[in-house]
Amino acid sequence: MGEKIISKINLEDEQDIYVKRGMVRAEFDFWVGIVMDKFYEGLQNKQFIGTKCSKCGKVFLPPRNRCADCFAKAEEFVELPQTGVVKNFTVSNYNVTERRVRKAKEPNMVGLIQIDGADTAMVVPIINTNPDDLKEGMKVKVVWAKNIKGHPNDIAGFEPVGGG
Amino acid sequence: MAHKVQPAIISCGFCEHASKRSDVNMAELVNEAVEDCIKKANIDWKDIDAVINGNMPAFEGANMPELWMGDHMAAKNKPMLRVTTGGTTGGSVTIAGYYSVASGLYDMVLAIGFEQQSCGDTTVGLASVGLGEFTIFSDLGYTIERMRSNMGGGAAIGIASYQAMNYMRRSRATEEDLARVVVQNRRNAAKNWWTHLKMPSITIEDVLDTPYISYPLRFGMVCPASDGACAMLITTEEKAKQIADIPVYINGVASYSNESAILGIDCAGAGQVDPCEQLGAMKSAEVAYGQAGISFPNKEIDYAEVYSPFPNQELMWVERVGLFEENKAPEAYQNGVTALNGELPVNCSGGVNSTNAIGASAMERPAEAALQIMGKAGNQVPKTVHTALGHGWGGSINLITHVVMSDEPQRKWR
Repeated sequence: MGEKIISKINLEDEQDIYVKRGMVRAEFDFWVGIVMDKFYEGLQNKQFIGTKCSKCGKVFLPPRNRCADCFAKAEEFVELPQTGVVKNFTVSNYNVTERRVRKAKEPNMVGLIQIDGADTAMVVPIINTNPDDLKEGMKVKVVWAKNIKGHPNDIAGFEPVGGG
Repeated sequence: MAHKVQPAIISCGFCEHASKRSDVNMAELVNEAVEDCIKKANIDWKDIDAVINGNMPAFEGANMPELWMGDHMAAKNKPMLRVTTGGTTGGSVTIAGYYSVASGLYDMVLAIGFEQQSCGDTTVGLASVGLGEFTIFSDLGYTIERMRSNMGGGAAIGIASYQAMNYMRRSRATEEDLARVVVQNRRNAAKNWWTHLKMPSITIEDVLDTPYISYPLRFGMVCPASDGACAMLITTEEKAKQIADIPVYINGVASYSNESAILGIDCAGAGQVDPCEQLGAMKSAEVAYGQAGISFPNKEIDYAEVYSPFPNQELMWVERVGLFEENKAPEAYQNGVTALNGELPVNCSGGVNSTNAIGASAMERPAEAALQIMGKAGNQVPKTVHTALGHGWGGSINLITHVVMSDEPQRKWR
């Protein structure tokens, strides 16, 4: 083929094809679909929008169009209150950014929060309290972010009702 | 090989395919096909014993998607298995469903193939498939820059263009012959409800008017990238008779993988230099027909669905799987033998050339073939179909799946 064929053994003195590095850019999207779009639209109006199963009446938040238990359609949208209950929680002392992990100044509290009237729970930050006061079953209410743009970060976190 | 329990297909479901199904997320997309399938079978979702699913790994940037959409697959608290074999995923999922029922382990199995290609970067996914090719290029001493400039000869279109060149040299097929296949497929797709590229009035001139992507394949000849899903219910003979009007019995399955010289790892393929030779397809066809008791496939097969993203492959596959004599397929297409009302209709669903949701494509072939036997296909052939073939192709260029089905169970006297 008119080209010098480089074998693996002679690579050192020839062009080293194995250590050349190139960047491959891979972009991935994720369609949220009509149902989750309604949820984000709700956040924009400071509302929680869930769906209700047409058969067993279970309420899903975040919404889904199919009941997990009875495989029936769950396409009725319902508005849910701004308060909920801590079902479970954890405390982390580290901050994770894109580049590094470092010790946080204040511990991060994350909880599995079930909005009143919903049968499912969401993982969201718990704020304006301290880890010692956290307990399962405590009442919380939502704190909205300053800039609302229809994004998961619109929920700044949940704080205890009545200051804990 | 005779099976212990006779498996039968009772229902096939699809969701609508398009280039961007942004109205649903991946789980909801799959759910549409599952619901369609269960509804058409008229059974309760609780009657399903096990679920087998698969899609192309890494195409949507989501690994193991079955773990977060189990409920959408009607798989809550049921055994679930994932099978992925690249382009043949759907075919392998169908065969895994067949094995589950034939072995007597499960009575009713739901098989699902899906792909939401608009979510991801297909080229990145294909790079993992093209590993063999990268290895070869490195072994030949190509630099990464030269490799990149040679990528026109890589990925699916590259493989297909080598195949097309070899096939055209062997059979003296012309570009018009390739365009004729495309026209037949896209016109068929226009009559089928779930397909992607519906072109009811496309002509050969229209296809030949588009620019080359990689000679001899033109833009108008290449399959689209689709979002879609397909589901299939496989059950035992006894249950199938109770549920379906016309159960479709799976009588023969085979999957073969043969290395080619172009894509064997480290150039160490089986020395099959000609990519249109396809010994794997010939061997798997022979084995599947043998199981089904078919001696003369060109006479006994009434309908065929072959996996042909590129038109030259359709001509090649119908010959390699024994439906036509070697190099005779272009003539058959010219004479309308493979048309909707022809003697041996091929790809009346529109084929992969019109709709390609990769993880679903190889399942849509046996599914559409089964629907033709049931008489429920979107683009139903006028003649009665007794025996049909669903074929899948993928891996690199080498993995083949075959499913031979009939309206009669496997002959017991064999």
